[in-house]
Amino acid sequence: MQNGFLQSLDPRVKSITFLLFIIQVLLVRTIPALFFLYVLCLFLALVSKINLGFFLKRTWVFIPLFALFIAIPSLFSKFSPGEALATWNILGFKFIITRQGLGAALTFIMRVVTSVSFVVLLSITTKHFELLRVLRIFKIPQVFVMTLGICYRYIYLFVGMIEDTYRAIKSRVGTSVRYKSGQNIVAWNIAFLWARSFKLNEEVYRAMLSRGYSGEARVLNEFKARLKDWLWLFAAIILIGTATIYFK
Amino acid sequence: MDDLIFALNDVYFSYLGKFPALCDIDIQISRGQKITVIGSNGSGKSTLLHLLDGLIFADKGGVNFCGKVLREKTFSDEGFSRDFRRKVGFVFQNPDVQLFCPTVKEDIVFGPLQLGLEKNEIIKRLEKLADTLGIQGLLDRQPHQLSVGEKRKVAIASTLIINPEILILDEPTAGLDPLTTRHIIDLLIEENMCGKTIITSTHDLHIVEEISDMVYVFGANKKIVKFGRAADILNDTDLLAANNLVHIHSHRHKDQVHVHPHLHIEHHNNSGG
Repeated sequence: MQNGFLQSLDPRVKSITFLLFIIQVLLVRTIPALFFLYVLCLFLALVSKINLGFFLKRTWVFIPLFALFIAIPSLFSKFSPGEALATWNILGFKFIITRQGLGAALTFIMRVVTSVSFVVLLSITTKHFELLRVLRIFKIPQVFVMTLGICYRYIYLFVGMIEDTYRAIKSRVGTSVRYKSGQNIVAWNIAFLWARSFKLNEEVYRAMLSRGYSGEARVLNEFKARLKDWLWLFAAIILIGTATIYFK
Repeated sequence: MDDLIFALNDVYFSYLGKFPALCDIDIQISRGQKITVIGSNGSGKSTLLHLLDGLIFADKGGVNFCGKVLREKTFSDEGFSRDFRRKVGFVFQNPDVQLFCPTVKEDIVFGPLQLGLEKNEIIKRLEKLADTLGIQGLLDRQPHQLSVGEKRKVAIASTLIINPEILILDEPTAGLDPLTTRHIIDLLIEENMCGKTIITSTHDLHIVEEISDMVYVFGANKKIVKFGRAADILNDTDLLAANNLVHIHSHRHKDQVHVHPHLHIEHHNNSGG
């Protein structure tokens, strides 16, 4: 992880300010306001030494999936009646793109892009275990946070097992597997993983008991907010206020 | 006897009530002793260690800890449970089981936090341990990113930070390179010299003599086949061969085929073959 501006902030303060930004993105109604917030997000990425190409790729990859397909129908007069901008006649059906429809679609896409950008920026400038710890300040019960952490931890173990199993199969049967035997292999893999995860669950619980776990996990709280963090919180509130008032 | 920590009398344990894992086990362990349990795979070594750590409970017979019988309901007493967990530390055979937190640091401090130690004291112990084990650079790493040797060191650190009086280790050197094995053995000897009781299960016969005052050999019948001083046990080649702990090794010296039992005992003293 690069050592930039956002990386140096207290994860709690950073998460709260990002949550405020995202709420603001959901509340503003004009494209210039959304554009301002998006530019702010890109600026924050730049001062945090995030490669912009990498950042844009990571955010825009979600857009067709989550926004574009949903936004396309709202372009047309059927869903957004109003002033016509372009008209097509296909197989006797009239397709009219309206100014109101275009505005609504652009606002929607900008809103999704900006929200996703803030979320991605938060995730790439904060270590995952810090994010998990931050969940506790939002009063999420410790047991959930711990379970999430354990899930994340063991996903890697299971991925390793799947890889090993795949290599073991490949070393014995090669790459060409018949459809039926392929199905059997996959089914056995799922069964094996289920059995392994069940056993692991028991063993991990014993390991927790062995070190004094008695139902409620205690954790080390090491966050320390400094002057820089408070200044950033203040600046973020000013920026949000500006966006609200200036782009009314 | 005041110094008696564990006393196992005629212990029987089975999995699911039908697969015996330990039969007729009688063991007495005193404060400051070094005990090693050896035996072939599936002979019940790990099960015994889990019993000693109060993670599973005997079907028949009694496991006594400082005069108190270990039963499931004994651990319902929060005071006893906390006291027991502070006194007895367990290093699991598979470090992946023991390292369940998102970072190495969180894994190491998990135990003392649950046991209610002061934050400053925990930080102090963490720094000292990280320095002793040479794992300062690993503290912010994720456990899945570590090598087997590093994981093993972190697992040991996560137990040692509790500063238990009794240290139970399930195959602590399995799959480790010779240097890491050496570090772990030195650490165990040092801990024992500080007064800790060390109970280890292992297949590595070459480490047995150093880490044992008393050796228990477990057989395929899930019983103790023999116990005694390390030197006596290690010299009993027939006993070791009968319990899959040595094998007949055949190799060639010039033109002659030479056959002898392969004990793996001298390796660490003379690094010979």
